[in-house]
Amino acid sequence: MKLEGKAKMLRIHFGEDDKWNDKPLYRAIVEKCRELDIAGATVFRGIEGYGASTLIHRSHLLSFSSDAPIMVSVIDTEEKVQTLLPFLDKMVGEGLIALSEVEVIKYVHQEGARS
Amino acid sequence: MLTAGPAKKVSIYVGEDHKYHGHSVYSAILDFLFYRGVSGANVVRGIAGFGADHHLHTMRIERLTENLPIKIEFIESPEKVMELLPKLHEMVGSGLIEIQDTTVVKPSEASRKGAPQPSSLPLRHEGKAKLMRIFVGENDKWHEKPLYKALIESMRANDIAGVTVYQGILGYGANRRIHKEGAMHLSHDRPMMLSVVDTEEKLRAYFPILDSMIQQGLVVLSDVDIIKYAHNYEGDERRKEART
Repeated sequence: MKLEGKAKMLRIHFGEDDKWNDKPLYRAIVEKCRELDIAGATVFRGIEGYGASTLIHRSHLLSFSSDAPIMVSVIDTEEKVQTLLPFLDKMVGEGLIALSEVEVIKYVHQEGARS
Repeated sequence: MLTAGPAKKVSIYVGEDHKYHGHSVYSAILDFLFYRGVSGANVVRGIAGFGADHHLHTMRIERLTENLPIKIEFIESPEKVMELLPKLHEMVGSGLIEIQDTTVVKPSEASRKGAPQPSSLPLRHEGKAKLMRIFVGENDKWHEKPLYKALIESMRANDIAGVTVYQGILGYGANRRIHKEGAMHLSHDRPMMLSVVDTEEKLRAYFPILDSMIQQGLVVLSDVDIIKYAHNYEGDERRKEART
C-alpha cells in the first residue's frame, strides 16, 4: 500500500446512534472502507455538536443512551475515495460528507511491528 | 524590542486608589503598556508622598487601604513613547507624567525559558497556513513514552504554534489492523490524531524530526485560513509570571 503526494480527505459527520443494517453506522463505514481497500479510516466521537437537524448532540455522562456527534475521517487517493462515495450516499441518511485536498507527508507501516 | 542607544524614560505618578473605568489606574496603565508591546514596565508603590492636592498619602495611619503613591515607569524608544502618550494622558487623570532622556546601555532580553516575545510568536497573522494531521496509535511508543505525548513535547520544543490530540474510537490504517477501544478493559489501542496548525515553513522545518519519530502512521498536510489565533491567553500567562 503506497500513498504519497496529493490525496483526498473525506470527513463524514453524523450521530453515534445512526444505524446501518442494525449496526452502528460508523462501524459499517469502517468495514466498508476496509472492504474497498481504502488506506485508512478513523472514527472520532465529539463531545457536543449540532448538525442538519439543529438538534444538539451531546454525550451524557450518566446515561447509556448517548447520541454524540461522530466524525469519520478517511484519507486516500481521489480514485479510491470516489469508489467509496456511492456507498456513503446510501448509508448516511442524515449527516454531512465533506471532501478536501491534503498532501501526504508520510504513510508508513512496519510489517509485524504491532502484532 | 528595545535596542541600545537613546531612549525615553517615562514616569507616571498616580494614587493607588485612583480608578480608570472601574479598575485601578496603575493596573489599567500596565495592561495598556503590556498590550501595546512596551518592552517592560515597573510599578512601584511609595510609602508616603503628596501631590497636587497636597494631601499627604501615607501608610502610617491605622487603615489598611490607603491611597498610596504609585509610580509606573517604563523605557521605550521616543517614537513609541509619542505614540502612547495621548492615551496615557487620558488614563492618568489627575496624575503626573514625566519624561526623561535616557540611554539604554544594554537592553533586557526575553528569558529563554519563558514564552517568546509577541514579535516572535509562532503564528501572528491571520491568513494562509497549513494544517497537519498525524495519525498514530495510542500504544505507539517513542523512547518508552507514548508517541503522541513525545510528539507534543517535541513540537512545543520546536516552537510549533499549537497542537491538539484527538482520540478516535475506531479505525484502521496502513497495517489493516482495527484499532478500537475495548469496552471493559484498561489496555486500549485507540487511534490518535494530532492536529497541528502553523505556517508551511515552520512545519516543513519540523518534518525531519517528525520523520525520525514516527515509525508507523500517516501524516497529511492541508491548506487552511487562519481566522483568529488568540495568543492573549499566553499573554495573560506571561503577565502573571511577570507580576509574581
